[in-house]
Amino acid sequence: MTLPFARQLAGIAAAGVLFAASCAACAQESVKIGFVGPYTGPFAVAGQSFRQGVEAYMALHGDKVGGRKVEVIYRDSAGADPTLAKRLAEELVVKEKVAMLGGFYLSPEVAATAPVVNAAKVPLFIVNAATPGLMKMSPYFVRMGQAINQPAELAASYARQQGKSRGYVAVADYGPGHLVEEAFVAKFTAEGGQMVGNVRVPLNTTDFAPFAERIANANPDVLQIFLPPGAASVGFNKALAVRGLTQKVMIIGQGEAEDSDLPLFDDSILGFKSIIYIDANAKNAENAAFAGWLTRNVGPNARPNSFSIGAYDAMHLAYKMIADQAGKSFDGTAAVKSLLGYTFKSPRGTVTIDPATRELVQNFYLREVVKASDGVKRNQVAKVWEQVKPTPLK
Amino acid sequence: MTSTAFILLYGLSYGLVLCLIALGLVVTMGLMRVINLAHGAFAAIGGYLAISLMQQQGWPYALAVPSAVLAVAVFGVVAERLLYVHLYKRSDLDQVLVTIGFNFVVIALLTMLFGPNIVRIELPGYLKGNIDLGIREFETYRVVAAAICLAIIGALWWVFERTSTGARLRAAVDNRGMAQAMGMNVPLLFSATFALGCGLAALGGILAAPMLPIEPMWPLKYLVLVLVIVALAGHGQITASVAVAVIVGIVETAGRYLFPQSGGFLIYLLLIVLMVWRPDGLLTRRRTA
Repeated sequence: MTLPFARQLAGIAAAGVLFAASCAACAQESVKIGFVGPYTGPFAVAGQSFRQGVEAYMALHGDKVGGRKVEVIYRDSAGADPTLAKRLAEELVVKEKVAMLGGFYLSPEVAATAPVVNAAKVPLFIVNAATPGLMKMSPYFVRMGQAINQPAELAASYARQQGKSRGYVAVADYGPGHLVEEAFVAKFTAEGGQMVGNVRVPLNTTDFAPFAERIANANPDVLQIFLPPGAASVGFNKALAVRGLTQKVMIIGQGEAEDSDLPLFDDSILGFKSIIYIDANAKNAENAAFAGWLTRNVGPNARPNSFSIGAYDAMHLAYKMIADQAGKSFDGTAAVKSLLGYTFKSPRGTVTIDPATRELVQNFYLREVVKASDGVKRNQVAKVWEQVKPTPLK
Repeated sequence: MTSTAFILLYGLSYGLVLCLIALGLVVTMGLMRVINLAHGAFAAIGGYLAISLMQQQGWPYALAVPSAVLAVAVFGVVAERLLYVHLYKRSDLDQVLVTIGFNFVVIALLTMLFGPNIVRIELPGYLKGNIDLGIREFETYRVVAAAICLAIIGALWWVFERTSTGARLRAAVDNRGMAQAMGMNVPLLFSATFALGCGLAALGGILAAPMLPIEPMWPLKYLVLVLVIVALAGHGQITASVAVAVIVGIVETAGRYLFPQSGGFLIYLLLIVLMVWRPDGLLTRRRTA
């Protein structure tokens, strides 16, 4: 008689285990995503755009996927402090138990966070930071933006095709600026152009007239610039315009004059060219939905930009990972693997995640600032490089 | 030749604009001896106010600017009566902490109200474009701003050095008790002077806006440049602050033009040299026992 009783006990125990397991599953029903970005401070425009991208995606696609509720937790990295970004990531992983991380404005912030995601096996979507070497630091990094050398090389080739032979580079004097300078100079001279000068503009510059004067004296016919958006870009463009350079020289930038920033510039910005991976006025369904949400919820002047589209796409990939793992506990390693080679439609056009680099194979757009008949300035696409492959990591 | 002309013209105009921003601080910090690190906050409020009046109310530039300056001066009186009046007798550290904190509050409020981006000031047609100075083309606006700056410096110098109001103020700062015993209304004098400092800050912020664009971080971003001028000029020295501002403007422009990467540091080198050589200010009067 003792045997059946033991079996009964075992049965009860098994039921108990099942019950506990089902409860663990119900606790897992919500998936948390930590978004670290500069929501305040000098780079707040980028952080607030991250947030708009996330909120727009969740508003348009619902906050439930694969039977789980998605919850985004924002943490403010404020200024330029890599140790703070790392600390915030640690807190999100350890205390909030986030399944993945996203955001990150500056490359040093991503570099500092690499040990955290490697130890916790948490996927991290780099929305903005663009130093090429970052991708070597963790197999959990997936980049939603670009490697910064790509648009600079395209700019150099384009300028040569347009018959420009006297190149000048003016970049902000910090890591990414130096990379842009290096990439442009190498490509421009390799294709037979001559560099007539370069200048590194300190980040604390307030009066840009001395730099415009130097550039004018070197008499270039193409000028590659790379400066932080906002005050620096507006001030620099103004100084170039006063010196007559905006009329005489082909100026190519990256994200200095996004559509969302164009109201800050006067009409001297007309004709400014930039190469980046988004077109704020694209007519595809994804971009139309996103842009519509922004004008309804943020303001009539709000436009998609590289920051908000990056965050929007990060949420798309997060939703895919969660859907792929429906019914299982979230496994970061398997989740990243499921993204490799994945193709989807983004507001920026069709993109594919390159399996080797975990960067996007995506279109690059050459845009030129024009003024429409209604008096509103916008970036008009002049040339598209289709499905540009990321530079292989050395 | 063209390089020298460029450095002198741009250096002079940049220096005069910096001087105008610094003058308000020369008054509040230099004359009244309050470590007023919130000076930039009043300048930024002035800038935002002028731009809002133009963009939202459609006021013309020539009306919006003086209105904004007056409004900030009135706000300065309120701030002085409610906040600064408690600081006059406190230690330097307390003054630094309170005014820096005031900056943070203003920055957060401006971000909340106007967003984190810069805002553009739309100049009227008659201030746009370049004029030919004979040696080279030069921005009209910089010439006008420099001229306004010179006029205001002249007026201030006259008030503080040549009128009894200036003498009363200096007396009240040096010996408050005695000044009051002589029948002066010291609190009124201080309020009025503080309002003047705030109004000057607002005017400086607005006139500098095409060069130093208005943004929420303004109060901290340009604080160092302005403090350099006040520190080098010495306490309440109006003529000295003009000289120092012009030197700072020329050194900054020359440094950035001739050595673009390291040029930004020249100004700090100048600061160190002058602070060691003339710790009391560039043109301080000889002390009489």
